Amino acid sequence: MSGNAIAEREVALVDLVDRLLGGGVVIAGEITLAVADVDLVHVSLRALVSSVATAQRQGVLPADGGDGP
Amino acid sequence: MIELLAITDDTAPAEPPLRVVRAGGLGVVVAPASEDEVDADALWRREALLERLMEQRALLPVRFGTLVADDAAAAEAVAGRSEALADALRRVRGAVELSVRAVAPGQPDEGSPGEHLQARAAHERTAAALHERLAAAAREHARHDGRELLRAAYLVDRSEVDRFVSLVRDLQAEYGELSILCTGPWPPYSFAEPEGA
Repeated sequence: MSGNAIAEREVALVDLVDRLLGGGVVIAGEITLAVADVDLVHVSLRALVSSVATAQRQGVLPADGGDGP
Repeated sequence: MIELLAITDDTAPAEPPLRVVRAGGLGVVVAPASEDEVDADALWRREALLERLMEQRALLPVRFGTLVADDAAAAEAVAGRSEALADALRRVRGAVELSVRAVAPGQPDEGSPGEHLQARAAHERTAAALHERLAAAAREHARHDGRELLRAAYLVDRSEVDRFVSLVRDLQAEYGELSILCTGPWPPYSFAEPEGA
């Protein structure tokens, strides 16, 4: 992984949390779990995007970030 | 309590701690409900289980944190919707979800109100142009409002993922002033809800 690996994982975490909380099929049941620090994750995105040109996860994008600025 | 993680139509056993509970022709993928505090590592472990399962069979992720008392309650929870869920599984079969965010630099609050409006209209045009090209490479798409210029999910055939990623790279080269963030492949979280639900 490149030097941006941690930041990339953080960006991917934002995408994961968005999907967990806003996606998926809603089935009758009891929704009881809460995710700690979700607000923190969203706040940190703004700081991250200025330093990360391209997110990499599971080799979808190359470690050099492609043709980013 | 057990947590419902996904709906599938392949009822073969799954890797522990996952189990597949039969519900009509469908299977409900369940795991023991965790008592621990949910942190990022726990979310990634859960995600890894789902992604390994996704490599072997079509699945619909269930909204995070859905708990029921036991296997009978898990089967009952999907029984009334099995046809719609089977349709939804057909829609996502053979495809994965890719996330794209495009972020513009600079402070949107700078400048006069007129300049601000003009900048916003320009951003909207750019977002529409990006989305149109990405959507053309996808089976389905879902655009979300957010603070970013573009935040969207694309349902892409497995065989087309490389082509989609090349397109993202081309767009990044073309729109050098933006940061285009692509993550995935994800299970089809944004395409799991049956149509007309």
